[in-house]
Amino acid sequence: MSDALSDDGSDINQDDSQDVMTPAELIAKLEEAWLNEKFSPELLENKSEVVECVMEQLTHMESNLQRVKKGDAKASFHRMEIDRIRFVLSSYLRSRLQKIEKFFPHVLEREKSRVEGQPSLLSPEEFAFAKEYYTNTETYLKAVALKRMPLNLQTVDLLKAVPEPCLDSFVFLRVKEKQENILVEPETDDQREYIVDLEEGSQHLMRYRTVAPLVSNGAVQLI
Amino acid sequence: MSTQSYFPVPPGVGMEENFLSLDDILLSHERLPVRTECSFPRLGFLERSSDAHDIPEGTKMELPLWLSKGLYERKRKVLSVDLPKVYKEGWRTVFTADPCVVDLHKMGPYYYGLGSQILHFDSPENSDIAQALLQTFIGRFRRTMDSSQNAYNEDTSALVERLDSLEKALFRSGQNGLNSFQSWEKGQASQLTASSLVLNYRKRKLADVQT
Amino acid sequence: MFCEKAMEMIRELHRMSDGQLPAFNEDGLRQVLQEMEALYEQNQADVNEAKSFGRSDLIPSIKLRHCCLLRNQRCITAYLYDRLLRIRALRWEYGSVLPANVRFHMSAEEVQWFGQYKKSLASFMRSLGEGEGLDITQDIKPPKSLYIQVRCLKDHGEFEIEDGTVILLKKNSQHFLPRWKCEQLIRQGVLEHVVS
Repeated sequence: MSDALSDDGSDINQDDSQDVMTPAELIAKLEEAWLNEKFSPELLENKSEVVECVMEQLTHMESNLQRVKKGDAKASFHRMEIDRIRFVLSSYLRSRLQKIEKFFPHVLEREKSRVEGQPSLLSPEEFAFAKEYYTNTETYLKAVALKRMPLNLQTVDLLKAVPEPCLDSFVFLRVKEKQENILVEPETDDQREYIVDLEEGSQHLMRYRTVAPLVSNGAVQLI
Repeated sequence: MSTQSYFPVPPGVGMEENFLSLDDILLSHERLPVRTECSFPRLGFLERSSDAHDIPEGTKMELPLWLSKGLYERKRKVLSVDLPKVYKEGWRTVFTADPCVVDLHKMGPYYYGLGSQILHFDSPENSDIAQALLQTFIGRFRRTMDSSQNAYNEDTSALVERLDSLEKALFRSGQNGLNSFQSWEKGQASQLTASSLVLNYRKRKLADVQT
Repeated sequence: MFCEKAMEMIRELHRMSDGQLPAFNEDGLRQVLQEMEALYEQNQADVNEAKSFGRSDLIPSIKLRHCCLLRNQRCITAYLYDRLLRIRALRWEYGSVLPANVRFHMSAEEVQWFGQYKKSLASFMRSLGEGEGLDITQDIKPPKSLYIQVRCLKDHGEFEIEDGTVILLKKNSQHFLPRWKCEQLIRQGVLEHVVS
């Protein structure tokens, strides 16, 4: 994968700082974000800088492809590579949009109560989408039914009506950085809580709630 | 079957109900035996067996779960809720003795869902009911899982007919996993297929034309 | 019993568990709203009587009717919301133009909601990256090959492939086409992906 990407020899600058990522690292980052997003029950923090870089990379590869002669065997490898990256990127953005729609009142509430300086769950584009989705749906429900109901029944609290993500669902994960003293809550009344160490490279099936912070700081990878 | 884009609101977990879930709305329509602890004036017509003006105190009737839940109060009792027979001690013993033989579709089909909801009514038997639900589920789970993983390309109606609605959902997700795995093994996972939604619409259109 | 009509509407949707959209039940909605109005009026009258004449014995009945009002509100909201989820699915399965027989089952307000949804989705997709954006309703499955063999299931007319070549999609004809160009037509059942 890195071959097709780096043939022009240029690296991508992340947020204009000295933080340099090679195309291969960039795609690895995208794949990580993609798998985490696909398997986590809740919406994760947006990775819009990765999305932007990948989009840029795709455009770049497309234009490189224009220069390759037609019928050149290399061209089809490049095209395949582009298709594959575009699939991962689309699939990643789709999972996010799906969760935004599924949990829209909660996602917007999180955004509203976010403290200045805390990273946002939503990219600016996703935020715009979520707000429009909320308004569109609320307006629709009001116009068709709620405003035709008796006075004391004309509102439905969407925050209560639309279910929250179920953080107690179980996820498979691989440990990237060794973790010590992870507290595992009991599952039934006759169990007790206990502490585990997660060895690097080991795989586990655990309650998402227990490992949520480790997913967000990159110490574990959902699989 | 192609990737579906319709994601209905799932039912709530445990004692929770999801407001917008169609499944939970159907579940909360299940009827419970209740006894009125006060009179309900001007609502006599709700009680089929009488044509009185009021529902008098002490009337035994069946009310849907949603209404029983709405009226139930710990402090000022307007009604008391009795246990449906499948949650009473006699049946609980039968269930836990050999959970695999009972027909939970006939007894339910919301045996677990309704059972969890009944815990809202502070019966002294609550913890026994909860235990029975859990034991019954555990006792049947293995069989449900195995049968969903072993039935490939065959009629599954006999396998699901005695399952509760929660078990049916588990069975279906097991089947989905099995089918996706088989199609991956045969190298068909990347085959692009028509949306099943589109296909079903076409079938319906055809049926409309024919009738 | 109260709330039977609302329940009927829920069952009607629940029966079509694959996500198809039945015709909008305008008549059902109207009947439920009527029942709500009647319940509300009866409650208003009883509340006034309870207050003016100290008839606290009316309170249980008022409460019961109020439960029914809330139940109707829940059923109607869930009915409408579930339909929106089905309509949303149509955008992903069919694309932005719906066939007449599907549109026919939507109410005027649902058509409007759908229009707005399409617009929000389009501007989201356009805003990705610097250029024309990215159509994320495509590339639903991981690609295995660039070109695929397809069979045409019905006459579709002319179809332009990437380099400007135009081909004729005639029923039963077979073609070897770029995968990403065909995805939508396959989903719509115009083309069939032939796997050897």
